[in-house]
Amino acid sequence: MAPLADVFPSAEFRDDLAGRGGATAARCYQCATCSSVCQLAPDDGPFPRRQMLKAQWGLGDQLVNDPAVWLCHQCNDCTVRCPRDAKPGDVMQTVRSLVVEKLATPAFMGRLVAKAGSTWPLLLGAPFLFWVLVLYAVTGLQVPAEMKEYKDVVPHWLIYAVFFPVAGLVTLAIFPSGLRFWNLLGSSGRRSGSFVPNLVPVLIEISTHKRFGSCDAAASRRWGHFALLWGFVGAAVTSGLLLLAIYVLKSEMPLPLLHPFKVLGNLSAVLLVVGGAILLYNRLVGGDRTGSSTAFDNFFLFVVILVIATGVLTEVGRFQFQPALNTWIYILHLTVVLCLFATFPYSKFAHMVYRMLAMVHERMTRPV
Amino acid sequence: MEKIGLFLCTGCEIGAAIKTDGLESLAKKGGAKSVVMHPFLCSEEGVAAIRKAVDDGSVDSVLIAACSPRAKTAEFRFDPLKVSVERIGLREQVAWSHPHGEEDTQMLAEDLLRMGLVRIKKNILPKPLAETIEKTVLVVGGGVAGLSAAKAAAGMGHPVVLVESSARLGGSMAGVKDAAPEQPPYGELHKNTIGELISAVQGNASVRVLLQARTVHIAGQPGQFTVDVESPSGKETFLAGAIVQATGASPYDATKLGDLGYGLTPDVVTSVDLDRMIAKGEIRRPSDGKPPRRILFVQCAGSRDPAHLPYCSSECCVTTLRQVAAVHRDLPGMECAVVYRDMRTPGQMEHFYQAVQEQPGSMFTRGEVAKVEKGPEGNLVVRLKDSLLGPDAALQADLVVLAVGMIPNSADSEAIRALRDARVGAEKGDSDVQRAHAAKVAEELAFHEGTEILNLEYRQGPDLPVLRYKFSDSHYICFPYETRRTGIYAAGTVRAPMDAAQAAEDGWGAGLKTVQCISAATRGEAVHPRAGDISVADFSLQRCTQCKRCTEECPFGAINEDVKYTPQYNPMRCRRCGICMGCCPERIINFPEYSVDAVGSMVKAIEVPDELDEKPRVVAFLCENDALPALDEAAARRLSWNPWVRVIPVRCLGAVNVIWIADAMARGIDGVLLIGCRKGDDYQCHYMTGSELANKRMENIQETLTRLKLDSTRVRILEIGRNEFDRIPQIFAEFEKVIEETGPNPMKGF
Repeated sequence: MAPLADVFPSAEFRDDLAGRGGATAARCYQCATCSSVCQLAPDDGPFPRRQMLKAQWGLGDQLVNDPAVWLCHQCNDCTVRCPRDAKPGDVMQTVRSLVVEKLATPAFMGRLVAKAGSTWPLLLGAPFLFWVLVLYAVTGLQVPAEMKEYKDVVPHWLIYAVFFPVAGLVTLAIFPSGLRFWNLLGSSGRRSGSFVPNLVPVLIEISTHKRFGSCDAAASRRWGHFALLWGFVGAAVTSGLLLLAIYVLKSEMPLPLLHPFKVLGNLSAVLLVVGGAILLYNRLVGGDRTGSSTAFDNFFLFVVILVIATGVLTEVGRFQFQPALNTWIYILHLTVVLCLFATFPYSKFAHMVYRMLAMVHERMTRPV
Repeated sequence: MEKIGLFLCTGCEIGAAIKTDGLESLAKKGGAKSVVMHPFLCSEEGVAAIRKAVDDGSVDSVLIAACSPRAKTAEFRFDPLKVSVERIGLREQVAWSHPHGEEDTQMLAEDLLRMGLVRIKKNILPKPLAETIEKTVLVVGGGVAGLSAAKAAAGMGHPVVLVESSARLGGSMAGVKDAAPEQPPYGELHKNTIGELISAVQGNASVRVLLQARTVHIAGQPGQFTVDVESPSGKETFLAGAIVQATGASPYDATKLGDLGYGLTPDVVTSVDLDRMIAKGEIRRPSDGKPPRRILFVQCAGSRDPAHLPYCSSECCVTTLRQVAAVHRDLPGMECAVVYRDMRTPGQMEHFYQAVQEQPGSMFTRGEVAKVEKGPEGNLVVRLKDSLLGPDAALQADLVVLAVGMIPNSADSEAIRALRDARVGAEKGDSDVQRAHAAKVAEELAFHEGTEILNLEYRQGPDLPVLRYKFSDSHYICFPYETRRTGIYAAGTVRAPMDAAQAAEDGWGAGLKTVQCISAATRGEAVHPRAGDISVADFSLQRCTQCKRCTEECPFGAINEDVKYTPQYNPMRCRRCGICMGCCPERIINFPEYSVDAVGSMVKAIEVPDELDEKPRVVAFLCENDALPALDEAAARRLSWNPWVRVIPVRCLGAVNVIWIADAMARGIDGVLLIGCRKGDDYQCHYMTGSELANKRMENIQETLTRLKLDSTRVRILEIGRNEFDRIPQIFAEFEKVIEETGPNPMKGF
């Protein structure tokens, strides 16, 4: 560590942190209860005491390149046991939101999503307006007399024309952020080995949620998150399979209920509903075990829940509701999916990339 | 006493434990004039029977064989001037702790009766002290504690003279703007109310305040102190009944804190300096008069450091919290960093700590200051070590505040006396060597010259004794207000490090203690711990050899000396512990109801069975303050111990005269146990030094045993805490084993 000429707390950093819900860091008296009770912290690099200290001292620069910030899964074992109610779990979460914003490309998007507490009407309204205008231009917002297939509302080509470029843009945006983060991490410790061989075990670990499983205070969150992750994976795979069915197999749409692709899709939907319900329940009644809700957190969960809810309604409502209602539910669904996609590099969703990189980095810096 | 009435209670299982048939003849043989057995002696009816015998003059002394002397004290209290009362704890020592109906239990009870009978036979009725008692209270020191003491004593109707050495009242709290929070939720600064306290004292007609004054001489004893005070208005003499010493403490001399940057630039100041700035409303950098943007507080500045003050002053952390809160209030936006080793927040101050920590601009961090340097922009750079941020952490600040500890404004009485003795020795010593040695000691102690505060005319020195770190005397473990000078109470920071709120409470306590002491003196009674005792020691001076042991060893300085070293007893300084009686080799010091002869006779009254009976005998002298209560507690919990032990309660282990051990050995008793309170730095001895002295005297005891050709293992001295009742059976069992190994006392049967 370079000599610190001056580590007087940066008022700016402190206010920034406090504004995001990390003001409780000031209460910390560095007893290390948090680091002792944390099941995830490795013995040779315990957290979150050090991170609490840095937050308290305003050492923002040292937090951005700290992998421990991301190794934390916010089980809140620390928050539950903190004798000073300094809520280390919340502070770590706040620091993560700060890192996401700091590394965002372009920067204004980071700021926009970071302030989701006040910008959410824009974040949700813009994609909605986009769909309404595009559909008006393309189809004149025609409501079909009888709802047979959703492509009657939005032609498939339009879906591709919107989501493929968005996915490309998002990848373009997250890539430099991830790269910057990876380089910053590199300054915090010497890595050995190469990326891919270390990525594989990390992906396996993520797929089983093994690390999340050692949490104590928020044990149920593990299964909520697990279901949600696999639900999204299932949904993505289903989407790919559907392309296969439509353009290669030329299957007749809509697929029968017992078609394997359909089964997979519905199974994913069940996982998403269950996972979303667990996480929502936790957030509503979890108290300290869940941590305080910041706008950054809530916005992401809110969008995910909306995606699931509108998705399920779209499917279930096809034969139940009036075509007009179905049409608008589908537009809403496309709206929130677009919002989820477009904000991916700037919302809590980005933890997928940052946490994964931090875990790979941790593996590569582990003493042999 | 001549007409002994034995009142034997058969309740509380005593009747079931022992056969009472033969006891009457045993008692008559032992000198009892009448024997009354009652199944419920502490009942109204039982007490009435005793009272009737006392009132009609058929008995002049009452021996109550029932429960422990510590039980039923109200029921069995009779006019001590008319009737002598002794108690035998049959319930605890026999019925509750030994198998009922057995031969050994019976022998134990009979021995206790014999011992009680000879003891009371030796008692004489005390003569009451009838002295003129002055009600005035002298308070030395006009800070928070002194003012509170003056207010308390005056409030209880006593005239008070308050002597303050400086030109103003208020002590170290005068000129401080805020006080730490005093009310829940303990988050907000409180107004410093010292001004109100000063007005209350100054406005009280019973309090006379003497400023720029000092006590130049104090003679006499509680109730009768003659006080000489010098002030700008001249010298005056008055009487005082009791004294509070509340001379406070001084901040540690920061010029010794060069390591922490003091003296480097004017911008390194002490917490006292900052308090002045806050009070003036001008928090400024002394170097350029500009308001600082960043203040750094250094905790434990010179405290908890063997090179400076080895102790914690306990209030500097709260002072810093108070100052950080005041800075935030007066200069919003200011950054304050506090570097601490451990934040210590006594009482409710943890809440205050948390509140201050959460104020924007506060930063608290653990670490130690390695170095303070001049910074690049005329400011200061404080380098930390042992901080949590690695080796090179440093902070820049415009103002560095050293939170300094406190040094008591006390006088080391024993050292001053040693200095005076050495000066005399240097002049009048018997040989050149002695004179040279005394001169050397005098030189070493010369710095105590002129440090006297109270100027007491006490043989043991002119002030209160001091404890570790020179804080004035206090029985701080058990009875913090008690000192080794009866009627003189230390209060506030001179006694122990404390904050203003604690000092106020301490002052109140000490003020009320003076009232208690004066009222006891008016009745001729002792104060704590033998409160209510009206007997005083009797010195048979015609046999005194002027050995000075009593004048040296009295923990309370009750005995002065004349020029020939003859003891001069001050009964109202006396606490009746009997340590003088224990130490006197000529055995000329005795109390009417507690004498060398009486206890010696008890030892001699024990029936010692023949060696062939294999019934060893042990005498256990138990201090009545902790050891006896522990034994009573053990009995109340039905713990049992061997029946060979004969317990004799004593006032203090220091009140055990070596002759009693010799008596026991000569009698053929196999072993002697002395069980007293904890000694050492954290002593629990109610008479402070009694347990310590008893241990020293063990050397003499060993000498006596060797002279008698006896094994030194036969005598053992032990400490016990009031709560360690479970050790009692164990102690007796272990000692029995030792006696078994040593074999029976060869003096048996002689």
